[in-house]
Amino acid sequence: MSSSFRSDMGTDPYDSVGDDRWIIASASDRGSSRGEIDSLLHGAGYRVRSTDLRHVAIGLEQLESTMVGHQCVASSAEAIHYNPSDLTAWVDSMLSELAPDPHLLRHPQSTATANTWADPTQQRPSLHRLENHHQHRNVPAVSLQSMDEEEDAAIRLVHLLVSCADSVQRGDSEMAGSLLDQTRLALARVNTGFGIGKVAGYFVDALCRRLYPPPPSATGGGGSAANLEILYHHFYEACPYIKFAHFTANQAILEAFQGHDRVHVVDFNLMHGLQWPALIQALALRPGGPPLLRLTGIGAPSPDGRDALREVGLRLAELARSVQVRFAFRGVAATRLEHVRPWMFQVAPGEAVAVNTVLQLHRLLGDRASPEGSDAAAAEPIDTVLEWIVGLKPKIVTVVEQEADHNKPSFLDRFTEALFYYSTMFDSLEGGRVGGSHRGGQQQQQTVVAAVAEAYLQREMCNIVCFEGAARVERHEPLARWRDRLGRAGLRAVHLGSNAFKQASMLLTLFSGEGYCVEEVAGCLTLGWHSRPLISASAWRADDADDASPPRDHQTLVLQDHSSSITSGSNNVVDGDDHLHQHSVMRSHMGSSDRINDTGSGSSCSRV
Amino acid sequence: MLTREEGEEEQEEEEEEEAKGRRRAFSVNDNVDLLAEILGRLDGRSLAVAGCVCRLWNAVGRRDSVWEAVCHRHVAGGGSSAADGGCSTRSVVAALGGYRRLYRLCIGPALDRLAGSAGGRGSTTTTAEAAAAHHLSLSLSLSLFSIDCYERLGGRQQRPASLLFLCKPVDVS
Repeated sequence: MSSSFRSDMGTDPYDSVGDDRWIIASASDRGSSRGEIDSLLHGAGYRVRSTDLRHVAIGLEQLESTMVGHQCVASSAEAIHYNPSDLTAWVDSMLSELAPDPHLLRHPQSTATANTWADPTQQRPSLHRLENHHQHRNVPAVSLQSMDEEEDAAIRLVHLLVSCADSVQRGDSEMAGSLLDQTRLALARVNTGFGIGKVAGYFVDALCRRLYPPPPSATGGGGSAANLEILYHHFYEACPYIKFAHFTANQAILEAFQGHDRVHVVDFNLMHGLQWPALIQALALRPGGPPLLRLTGIGAPSPDGRDALREVGLRLAELARSVQVRFAFRGVAATRLEHVRPWMFQVAPGEAVAVNTVLQLHRLLGDRASPEGSDAAAAEPIDTVLEWIVGLKPKIVTVVEQEADHNKPSFLDRFTEALFYYSTMFDSLEGGRVGGSHRGGQQQQQTVVAAVAEAYLQREMCNIVCFEGAARVERHEPLARWRDRLGRAGLRAVHLGSNAFKQASMLLTLFSGEGYCVEEVAGCLTLGWHSRPLISASAWRADDADDASPPRDHQTLVLQDHSSSITSGSNNVVDGDDHLHQHSVMRSHMGSSDRINDTGSGSSCSRV
Repeated sequence: MLTREEGEEEQEEEEEEEAKGRRRAFSVNDNVDLLAEILGRLDGRSLAVAGCVCRLWNAVGRRDSVWEAVCHRHVAGGGSSAADGGCSTRSVVAALGGYRRLYRLCIGPALDRLAGSAGGRGSTTTTAEAAAAHHLSLSLSLSLFSIDCYERLGGRQQRPASLLFLCKPVDVS
């Protein structure tokens, strides 16, 4: 039975083994078995079991803070104080006298976990106790410094969250549930308007969804594609990450297209096509005149029959027409990237190809086999896709990815990383908003935009925390791993020039938040907030992509495509069975798919 | 003789007319090209203010060539445009909406933002403005401008807001 008084030195639910962040690590290192009196303290005159050491230390901490809070130690005459040499009982009795709170009862789980060895569960009741103790302590208006309180509360919140994630990882849903409740209580004491409170709130919701998954609701994939576009658009406006990605990628593509008069860009995620007006304009102004630009945009199929990809293509074509750039667009609708096949792009021989992936490649990753092992063993969709990317012999592949490791095999590691990554992200959103304009209406609009941007980030966070397996698509990996992976696939890094760096710095000076920083890391650019890099942009090329200007053969093929400025009606809708209607037509038009690699024999180099 | 006297009289009258012409003050309003040349050396805000003086100045101040001069004066990378290079830039900018709009939407707010942030850091205003001018480049402005133009093309219910991060000036056009 559990009580707040220790009347005997009976079975002790606390185990000295197990890591914890609180106490005196030496207590657990003494290595004595259960129940043994600690020799060192015994020499000082105290009889404490080594297994009780953690409990005693926490209790002493609490006692100290309680005594500080109370103006005088009110001791009632009828309390029984145990002999201080029996430290454990003494601490308990003092505590129960000074802060008689029913919450101080030890957690009833002690009986269930008494027999488990090396079980970090046992430290949870102490956290619970401490948390509630602090809660109780503040109800009388004791004047402690509120800043420290805030920090303490925030730190405890983080600890609670991590403990909860830990118990989720171990499958202990009962403990996780109770920890979640405690976290919610802790949340109530922290300012959830900004900073760690807000992020913690989102993570608490995510953990809740993981523990108690909601039934598959009616709002499935139907509205979510359009919603995702809206969220993405607001995220684009609220902070510079995507703009940075677009501008850096465009710069690399522009430099790679120098000297080519037929160029083809493959965009892995078209969305609203906000990246391409700048490229079209830059190509229009390049010395020597604009090339023939073909754009293939991959996107999600629109559910309600509206051809979103085609609409975007039409808009881009209108812009291109106004600045007199010959332009052709093709849309490829695919629910998942791995269903896309290279022949759908209809790359004409002699075209310079650029592949642009902004925050897309990580969706193709799978579970990592072992923490530090190589990923070459398992065949993942990423390998297939990288293979055909290399097969296209692109002049440039621009890769923009989040700079975080959210694909670790251990859930707890992922959770902790995500917690810190998204806190930094949210901080940057705050920073960008606070320093913004002073006009009232515009500030309101900016607030709305920032709120929706947060919803976009929350969606990512939820995916990392709540889902597993195929449903978990936000498998971010850091730049170093991408370097290895892309190198293994046969791509060589291209240094992003100083122009890209200057442009990125310029872009950032226009953003009001002053914490953004651009850094160059071995030819790749990273954008971060206060020296924590959050997004990285890099450029690659195929090993043996030739540098000669493309020959002027196969012109008829190109002109056929160009006869209608939009290749209307040729969207390929790919569903899970990879069943395509125009399959045979495409094949006869292009020959076999291996012919895409044919760059032709370099004969006459002619320019417009 | 009679004719000689008449000729002398006419000559005198012409001289009087010339003298009168010389006494009349020279007005720049008589030569709009000169006016445009002068206005093109102003900064954006002053030029906009000048447009409030009278109808003539308003009309001249709305000329895209004037704003083109203003833009090139205030951003790096624009002053060194070659003749034919300038032509293509001109046509592209015209297609996207014109130099006046470019200044209003992109360059002006950006310069204000840069000067504001630089001034806030305590540097002197002159060096801040110079630094701001050098930081901003025409290519970046054009890129931002093209994105905004593209958004307006959509004609969707959503307002073009890609330049929201810059201060959006009040629309007086």
